[in-house]
Amino acid sequence: MKNLYGAVAPLWMGIGVWAVCAPFLLANAQTTPGGVTMQPPNSATAEQVQFFHNMILLPIISVICLFVLALLVWVIVRYNSKANPNPRKFSHNTLVEVLWTGVPIMILLIIALPSFDLLFTEGVTPDGKQSVMRGDGRTQDFVFANDFPASRMVHRPKQLQVLVDDGSGAQLMKNRIDYVATGFGEPEILVSMNAPPAAGARVILRGGRSVDQRGDVTLAPTMTLKVTGVRWYWNYAYPDFGDFDFVSNMAVEEDTTPELYRLEVDNRVVVPVGETIRLTVTGSDVIHAWALPAFAIKIDAVPGRVNETWFKADREGVFYGQCSEICGIRHAFMPIAVEVVSRPVFEAWIDSQRALAGMGPMFETNNVKVAQGVIAGAAAE
Amino acid sequence: MADAHAAHGSGDHADHTPSFFVRWFFSTNHKDIGTLYLIFAILAGIVGGAMSGLVRLELAEPGVTFLTYFTGDNAEAAYNFYNVLITYHGLIMIFFMVMPAMIGGFGNWFVPIMIGAPDMAFPRMNNISFWLYVASGILATLSLFAVGANGQLGFGGGWVLYPPLSTSVSANPGPAMDLLILSIHLAGASSILGAINFITTIFNMRAPGMTLHKMPLFAWSVLVTAFLLVLSLPVLAGAITMLLTDRNFGTSFFDASGGGDPILYQHLFWFFGHPEVYILILPGFGIISHIVSTFSKKPIFGYLGMAYAMIAIGFVGFIVWAHHMYTVGLSVNMKAYFVAATMVIAVPTGIKVFSWIATMWGGSIDFKAPMLWAIGFIFLFTIGGVTGVVLANAGVDHYMHDTYYVVAHFHYVLSLGAVFAIFAGWYYWFSKMTGWQYREWLGALHFWVMFVGVNLIFFPQHFLGLQGMPRRYVDYPAVFAQWNYVSTIGYGVTMLGMAVFAICMFDAFFVYRRKAPANPWGEGATTLEWTLPSPPPFHQFNELPRFDKGDAKAF
Repeated sequence: MKNLYGAVAPLWMGIGVWAVCAPFLLANAQTTPGGVTMQPPNSATAEQVQFFHNMILLPIISVICLFVLALLVWVIVRYNSKANPNPRKFSHNTLVEVLWTGVPIMILLIIALPSFDLLFTEGVTPDGKQSVMRGDGRTQDFVFANDFPASRMVHRPKQLQVLVDDGSGAQLMKNRIDYVATGFGEPEILVSMNAPPAAGARVILRGGRSVDQRGDVTLAPTMTLKVTGVRWYWNYAYPDFGDFDFVSNMAVEEDTTPELYRLEVDNRVVVPVGETIRLTVTGSDVIHAWALPAFAIKIDAVPGRVNETWFKADREGVFYGQCSEICGIRHAFMPIAVEVVSRPVFEAWIDSQRALAGMGPMFETNNVKVAQGVIAGAAAE
Repeated sequence: MADAHAAHGSGDHADHTPSFFVRWFFSTNHKDIGTLYLIFAILAGIVGGAMSGLVRLELAEPGVTFLTYFTGDNAEAAYNFYNVLITYHGLIMIFFMVMPAMIGGFGNWFVPIMIGAPDMAFPRMNNISFWLYVASGILATLSLFAVGANGQLGFGGGWVLYPPLSTSVSANPGPAMDLLILSIHLAGASSILGAINFITTIFNMRAPGMTLHKMPLFAWSVLVTAFLLVLSLPVLAGAITMLLTDRNFGTSFFDASGGGDPILYQHLFWFFGHPEVYILILPGFGIISHIVSTFSKKPIFGYLGMAYAMIAIGFVGFIVWAHHMYTVGLSVNMKAYFVAATMVIAVPTGIKVFSWIATMWGGSIDFKAPMLWAIGFIFLFTIGGVTGVVLANAGVDHYMHDTYYVVAHFHYVLSLGAVFAIFAGWYYWFSKMTGWQYREWLGALHFWVMFVGVNLIFFPQHFLGLQGMPRRYVDYPAVFAQWNYVSTIGYGVTMLGMAVFAICMFDAFFVYRRKAPANPWGEGATTLEWTLPSPPPFHQFNELPRFDKGDAKAF
């Protein structure tokens, strides 16, 4: 898909749309006072949303508006009663009627294709998996167990990624150049490398139908974050890491900066960077909506239902959202703050939460010692 | 027609007008009922507009600093007051301003005249339609002053009245919500009766020879609208009746803990709610078609395409409702369907916009006040339309949903679309309805001030939405301050425009006092209302106009 987008983008610029949307795109540094763009994305999905909006939808709708405006201006200038005292009387023209029915249909098709692609990327929780093997300097063939349900099997080369890490960082191998893969759509996929990986090198095979805009296979979630909307705060639980939960209230004015007031919370959600997080959302009293613009996520917290979505953070940092379904008097005062941290910090944070709930540590090789609140303080700086 | 009327002779009591009380309270005359509806809409518009003023003043800067003046510095009460304001602003503008103005007002006034009928098919039902509206308005007003959430007055859950917020006794224990439900019941009953009346009138009382394919587009637009009303309002009535029984009689249609589903309400509500937005805009399409044709001195381009585009919009409008619900947890396949169906609406809508421009093409355009409003409508409605295409894409709507981008979108199509169409119709037919002329330059000034004002209010709201500001927020982070401030300034400019409107009307009635001719617009005005004197006699068409001889056309 990326290549297709890459081909489309210069085309739009070429027809002069760039001049219209340049201010929108160039200003896309961060959420700024007076900003006019979407918030900077922090996931491949959010990037795809922004690409679709900024490079496809916005140019198209701008051109349509300018076209209608130009027609109106032309009509006003050319056919006002001074310029054209004698009106013509035609009331039909089959050609233009066919054109203005047909051309919009074409435009909608141009929009619909990437739109569905994006919708299914967002709406289907990734189930990709990764197997890691060791090279021994001789073996050239590696097997990827394609043990997905039939509708989710890896069935195309782009759904399989082969990486080799000989200690100097993982290198992405190229299909048909570095390796040949056979058996797509079958229970076992055989990857034959052109050259055997060095002894001790890690051979990483990633496969799955959820392939993001960058061409990367998205792996299945490593954890579930359970979100419950309550009037007027959020409750978070980490069912994979023990029976604990905590309440996240809006931070009072004294505890935060003027810029972050009404966004900052007392207890942030903490998630690891670069991992797929499954989000399950429900409501305990009325409908709320959990929203995180930097990840292009908005999902209603409905009593009696559990809604599911997912995200995978690109970068560490703190990201803010706000309740997005009216839920009563303090609707505007139940913000969302998500702190994306590295895996070791995340594990240390989990153990600190477990300790608060009276449970022992879960991660043994835990060399990052943090007390409750320390991460939050560090990230705020 | 005036001559035919004068020659009618003995027994004619066409201009026998009843006494004031009988005329205005027991009225069965479509023109008088239309006038009553318009007065009702103006009063509701003043209330709804004032509410949006309070909202914009509160949002002028971060921090809840304005509404606390009304609540004795009680912040919680101010939050509730804000929610109440946005809820009633929406309900009032939709149910008590745009609908009565377009359908009750202009529809009653001009549909019978345009199709050559002496009156509506059921004049007394027409009367009860109006008075049910008044009763509905009274109930809504009572609701505003009844106890709702947290001991505060009024219901503050948004005009969509989603349960469990609207059913939860802990959230909204007082009678405010119940009164609101009853108010909407009556408004719905009124609209259903009105719609039946329009359908019957248009199907049975067209002048001899006026086939449906010769009928003026405004009558077409009201016909399609009436079908949308008849088919969608009963669904709303059912949904809010279930709200009522959930609240008061222990049912649990929408209560998950009793086996119900809050999302069921949203499906029912939007099955009504989406056709409703076309109910609000379709009569405007009809008005704009006539104005564009009149002032271009050209027949409407692609008449049949225009009529069938409205039918297509009305039909497709019924099968796209869940695009309001992309975030509730619909399956991805279902969302894909609603994306596709929603985008289809852009095609007939595009046909209408381009046909209006083609009607002007080659014409000899006079830029009188109604034409300014019509051209303004076409451009602003296009902007609102294309942002609708953006929002139709569920993938992007997951970002935009319930942000100010949505607020900007639907105000561009309604506040700048439907309301501009209402003003266009008002200036177009003002002299016909009242017999007085307004000062042309005041009408034009009103347009220009308001054009600047509403764009200043709503265009920056796209930016707020893209930046992620959620709607229905009494207070917001400091980062959103700039555009909110601009938006509030825009409200001030708009109010200046409304002041010009008030002056223009005062001037027309009491100062300028220029009698209007039967047809002030010249050769381009071809529909039947321009054959009657201004204002038309109490009863018109005692002798029916005929379209079954020669090449007489009704549009």
